[in-house]
Amino acid sequence: MGEIVLRSEKLNKHFGITHAVKDVSLSFEKGEIHGLIGENGSGKSTFCSMLCGIYPISSGQFLLEGKELKAKTLVEANRAGVSIIVQEMGTLSGLTVAENIYLGNEDQFIRHGIKNASAMNRAAQALLERYGFGRINASAIIDHYNFEDRKLVEIVKATYFNPRIVVIDETTTALSQAGRESLFEHMDRIRNEGNTIIFISHDLAEVIEHTDRISILRDGELIDTVKTSDVTTDDLKRLMVGRELGSHYYRSDYGEPISDEVVLSAENVSIPGAVDGVNFQLHKGEILGFGGLSECGMHEIGKAVFGASYNRSGAVRLANGTPINSIPAAIHHSIAYASKDRDNESVVISDSIRDNICLPSLDDLAVKKVLHKRKLDKFAVKNATRMSVVMTGVGQYVADLSGGNKQKVVIARWLGKDSDILVLDSPTRGIDVKVKADIYALMRELSKSGKSIIMISEEIPELLGMSDRILIMRDGKINGEFLRSPALGEEDLIAKMV
Amino acid sequence: MVEQHKEEKNNAAAGLYLKPWLRNLMPLCGLLAIVVVFAFLTDGRIVQPRNMQLILSQVYVLMIASMGVFMIMTTGGLDFSQGSILGLTSIIICKVSQYNILLAIVAGIVGGAMMGAFNGLFHVRFKIASFIVTICTMYLFRGLCEYLTTNGPIAATPDVVALNQTWLKLLLTSIVLLIGFLVFRFTRLGMDLRAIGAGETAARYSGCRPQLTKFFVYVAAGAITGFAAFINVIKVGSITGTAGSQLETQILIALVLGGLPISGGAKANFSNIIIGTLTYCVLEKSLPMVFPVSATQQLVKGIIFLCVVALTIDRKSLRVIK
Amino acid sequence: MSAKLNKLKANRYFGIGLLLVMAVFFWAVFKILSPSNFGSANQMIGYLQTSIQYAVGGCGFYFIVVMGLFDFSVGANIVLSSIVGVLLSRYFGYWGLVLGCLICGTLIGCFNGFLYSRLRIPSMIVTVGLMLVLESVANYVITLDTYVTPGKLTEGLLAFNRAPWNYVVALSAFLLMAFLLNFTRIGTYCNAIGSNEYVAKNMGINVRKYKMAGFILLHFFIGIMALLTVSYGKGMLAVTGMASMERNFKPLMGTFFGVAFKKFGWPVTAIIVGEFIITIIFNGLVALNVPTTINDFVTGAVLLTIVTLTNRAPKGTVVK
Repeated sequence: MGEIVLRSEKLNKHFGITHAVKDVSLSFEKGEIHGLIGENGSGKSTFCSMLCGIYPISSGQFLLEGKELKAKTLVEANRAGVSIIVQEMGTLSGLTVAENIYLGNEDQFIRHGIKNASAMNRAAQALLERYGFGRINASAIIDHYNFEDRKLVEIVKATYFNPRIVVIDETTTALSQAGRESLFEHMDRIRNEGNTIIFISHDLAEVIEHTDRISILRDGELIDTVKTSDVTTDDLKRLMVGRELGSHYYRSDYGEPISDEVVLSAENVSIPGAVDGVNFQLHKGEILGFGGLSECGMHEIGKAVFGASYNRSGAVRLANGTPINSIPAAIHHSIAYASKDRDNESVVISDSIRDNICLPSLDDLAVKKVLHKRKLDKFAVKNATRMSVVMTGVGQYVADLSGGNKQKVVIARWLGKDSDILVLDSPTRGIDVKVKADIYALMRELSKSGKSIIMISEEIPELLGMSDRILIMRDGKINGEFLRSPALGEEDLIAKMV
Repeated sequence: MVEQHKEEKNNAAAGLYLKPWLRNLMPLCGLLAIVVVFAFLTDGRIVQPRNMQLILSQVYVLMIASMGVFMIMTTGGLDFSQGSILGLTSIIICKVSQYNILLAIVAGIVGGAMMGAFNGLFHVRFKIASFIVTICTMYLFRGLCEYLTTNGPIAATPDVVALNQTWLKLLLTSIVLLIGFLVFRFTRLGMDLRAIGAGETAARYSGCRPQLTKFFVYVAAGAITGFAAFINVIKVGSITGTAGSQLETQILIALVLGGLPISGGAKANFSNIIIGTLTYCVLEKSLPMVFPVSATQQLVKGIIFLCVVALTIDRKSLRVIK
Repeated sequence: MSAKLNKLKANRYFGIGLLLVMAVFFWAVFKILSPSNFGSANQMIGYLQTSIQYAVGGCGFYFIVVMGLFDFSVGANIVLSSIVGVLLSRYFGYWGLVLGCLICGTLIGCFNGFLYSRLRIPSMIVTVGLMLVLESVANYVITLDTYVTPGKLTEGLLAFNRAPWNYVVALSAFLLMAFLLNFTRIGTYCNAIGSNEYVAKNMGINVRKYKMAGFILLHFFIGIMALLTVSYGKGMLAVTGMASMERNFKPLMGTFFGVAFKKFGWPVTAIIVGEFIITIIFNGLVALNVPTTINDFVTGAVLLTIVTLTNRAPKGTVVK
């Protein structure tokens, strides 16, 4: 048992009604690489974001070497000795490599208000050499470098000042083999210098190979902390998912046959960088689930089916051969889409419920190109009521609604359009239990009435509970197909995802 | 990272809903307040028919041209080239009026549409910010305007000038505005514009065609200004190189006074055009009556503008204030 | 071939090389078309002197534009600062002229920046109002000038009208700009704020403070530009009716060059060479007996071409 350097005490985070982190009390030792794993939505990223000052803490505290750690910005966290390498892009375009590394910390190069740029560049270059990234030029504008190189710069930026805690959040997926090797070398070095690394990754093999201890989170709660040498990947998988399938939620039927009638087919669909030669068919009345890790390409498939991809090759066709190549075409041919990025893609957030519900159906609602306000209002009210949207009126702006109600508005618009094919991406993400149940019930009702649904989800229970068929994707290809069955378990799916 | 921002924004936005009809009323209150205040300050002269007519005479061109820019601004874009387009199309109308007045009007509209298309092309196809494109075309068209009038102002034929009747101008303006209103309110164009301004990506996913629509509004704005040019021509009779200069800034001030949010979106309302233009013209005409020195007039105008905007701007729906 | 081009682009000198090539190209075009009235050494010097005035303004604008802000009152500032400079020159000679322009400019910058952050109105709108106000104020100030021809700079105070002092002023401004961009935090932070304001804030950058600084710097540089403008024009008159807007755009053109070539790392040089190119083009056309009225047309066309060629927006980005 090593010396504890960082502890969280009853840490909580609420996003509106979503309780993302629940009373997590976790401790980290000096000189260890501590793995943090869990499914999407387990709270691990949120936990680390609170540590680094990106999110404010709802309740509870962090104790760094016995003293409370309250960082309100990333820079404050850095000063306290905590840093993070984020999943997305963490460097700023338009600045040089050196400027990015020292952003917020230029004071050491400033005397009498004058910044010594060449000293900064030299220092940055020296750092890059020390890290083995000497081929990156410190005085070049960072835009010249690709995503991987920029990530390497981020590694330097996050670790050069010997922070006591370094969080590495899903970084390995962005790196090539060489980049990964490099990262692991530095991780080992930091650990040997007596500092601590919190390593978040979906790649369980990687986690087992490089960590000393592993903590598992599930649904925002800490499940257990284990010594890496004591476990195998199978053990981890079990710990990650071991829950009862709350079947009152999902469908209770099994063995219902899928119709033979194909309503939509994807032929050799490829999107550079995301999807690689995917083929599948959607049947009438089917709920087809897509699962996989976040970057597996399933989200892009959803967009491709809706005609929203910019550089898709291959074809998406309806049963009668009509190709779907644009969003207006998709909508016209009765395809609907609810995006994972709700606020930017599923709803026009700074607009009324009425406008949002009516937009896809405007051509249908118009009488010889003329729209009547009363007709639109009635249409909106009818569909909002059908979904039991909690609102003060259809004139209310969607921005004011809770996550669950926003999603209800999204679905309401497609109910209004009476779309035959619905592509739902992460339909219940961030939504409370009651609304989730409503959405599941609705999906069942729709599929029974002959509508076909593609459900893309990062929540395995949802996939198991609702789908007639599940396609698991990995690295842009379909890696597994499962039929609905009570014997199907989460481990089966996860096995094909990682 | 974005979640936090959105969460806190949502909490702030909760206050937004309070009274949307009240928000729509504020510019109107502003207009009435200005009329009342200046009626008082000018001992009631401002509301006399003769002065009202004078005010009205300024309104036509501004209001029609503002309608086109209104559509552009609703989608979140900007257009600084309208003044130059007015000048150039006025020249076209003058020249073609030598042959046929009706043809001249058509020529003006078509010419304006082509200039608008030029703007639209660079903005939509080449993805350059509308602000930059229209500043460049402002120069471009202004240059052509000045070039064509190098040897002196271009005059319209006397028949055209004879058309300078209030009833005609009023009628034409009303017809154009009515058509614009009907299209904006009762066809899907209005909803598309507002959706694109409120959230272009989301609008695209809802079945709108932002690229096509944006191109269209630039063409339309050009055409509409081309028509406004006709009224301009019948009013002034001859066109110099500086015709229409500053029009774009006048339009901007007018629309903002009318309550149009600078980034457009769902809160854009057709009444912004009418109330805004009226407010601007009332100010323009009444200020000289109260403050004989033109510098003072402008000072007061600037202060009123800043106050009105500070009071009526919808800060909560601006994600980042630029 | 493409790889070689990319490698070339990454070279520090690519941008500046490209600009110089363009300058020489345009010079060559007009020299060939009109060898007798264009392009002699003397004339080139003349073009240079004209363009540095706008380049100074372009430098100031850069801070603001890079952060995504705008300021319509720049022209009004030029007018006001010039008039203040002339007024003070009546009592304090050169000191009055120089300090008048600079201090007036800086004060306007503080005023604008303050209103912008207090009122929280988008910069484009608030500066339209400020333009109206500043233009009027200029009209008041000029009435304080009791000289027989108000606003006219007396003969003895025209040192900045010509070499070497106009060069000294401009060069000082350029060096200052380069210094600020390369040796202080301001350059980095303005870029960071323009790149992603939210992330910049999270990294601990005081966005409000730096936006304010941007306005002050803008108007300070405009004050310097006013010094040159009033000296070149041997005086300044007050205007109303938003006529000062005209003056906004010449400096802005240089700024566009600066922003377009920012990624090559030489914004100041890009601004200077850019303004020079525009002046060459204009004078070249004049030499071809194209009427001066075509001036604006050319400016607009050249700028549009340059922005189009240097713009690169990935598919799917929303451009407003």
